[in-house]
Amino acid sequence: MEKCFFILVSISIIFAISTGNLQAVSNAVVDGAAKAISLVLSLAGAMCLWSGIMEVLREAGAVQKLSRILSPILRRVFPKTWESGQGSEEICAALSANILGIGNAATPLALSAMEKMQAANPNKERATDDMVTFAVLGASSLDLLPTTLIALRRTAGSAAPYKIILPVWICSLVCAVAGVLLSKLCAGISRKVPAKSRKKNVKGIMRKAEQHD
Amino acid sequence: MIEKAAIFVLPGVILLSAILMLRLGKRGGEAFVRGARSGLSTTVSLIPAMLMLTVGLTMFTASGAVEWLAKSLSSVCGFLGIPSELLPLIVTRPVSGSASTTTFADLIAAHGADSPAGLAASVMMGSSDTLIYVISVYFTGAKGVRGTRHAFPVAAIVMVICVLLSCYLCRVLL
Repeated sequence: MEKCFFILVSISIIFAISTGNLQAVSNAVVDGAAKAISLVLSLAGAMCLWSGIMEVLREAGAVQKLSRILSPILRRVFPKTWESGQGSEEICAALSANILGIGNAATPLALSAMEKMQAANPNKERATDDMVTFAVLGASSLDLLPTTLIALRRTAGSAAPYKIILPVWICSLVCAVAGVLLSKLCAGISRKVPAKSRKKNVKGIMRKAEQHD
Repeated sequence: MIEKAAIFVLPGVILLSAILMLRLGKRGGEAFVRGARSGLSTTVSLIPAMLMLTVGLTMFTASGAVEWLAKSLSSVCGFLGIPSELLPLIVTRPVSGSASTTTFADLIAAHGADSPAGLAASVMMGSSDTLIYVISVYFTGAKGVRGTRHAFPVAAIVMVICVLLSCYLCRVLL
């Protein structure tokens, strides 16, 4: 998170100076802060609604049923989470919301899945393999019904707004599978390389970069 | 057909939960309130991280780095079979949802939604997401974790696969 922020800010400032956009970037600082709050506010309603509905579905046992259906596949994708049982229901619910195209519901569900996974995490400072896989899967779109996209195509005067649906499905599926496999591959590699030596290295570089500033 | 089905998804889920709430009686109402309250506290806990991220991303979009990236990538794209009209979209897609939607709308308005570039852009738009935002938000749920390990590199590689595959699929299928 800190690294991401540092990289974004330093690149923007370097670019702003070289292209003479510094005024626009200064304005962006204030605009960005305001945007963040309006984004959170616009999210708040959906967050409350879907967290509430999720709790009702869980109380009624619907989530458990759903996770029983999805378990055979997802157990292989998130082995540690299914072993501990902490967060597996939330993962099922979040992915279902993604697939059904209820993106607003997916975010709060995904957040509570991450919370549960973190609660079961033995090393609180290091993200588990399953957490990373889940984030990668969330970042690849699994939407079965890209309604916004179709609406945009229709507005642009497309003769066949749905024409793209099959390639979208193929592409989404391939990307999701590739994401899971790559994430597992990286997790395997990082287990072989001792974590300490890498961490030191990164910290050293960051420190040097800060001194230069 | 698909669009009609999509309209029913959301009301359907709400209706299902309303029926379940009725069947559960008092327990159902309590569960909803409990869940909604936890949703609110999650939202509030999101604010600081979201602020940092949005400020960074807004600065990035305003700095002109996007245009520069798009320009410098254009020679690589021709080689890989990616229409160069797609470049602004490829650069904005992982960074910002609203910016990429605007870019996409401009693109299909200028080149036509059913043109080769418009189709490739549509497939790409439908099968990718704002990865920086999604991963950052997801990890705010995991309090105490330092760093996201290989999440960003893997998601970036997946994004590249997505771009190449959507252009390829459009050439082959459409």
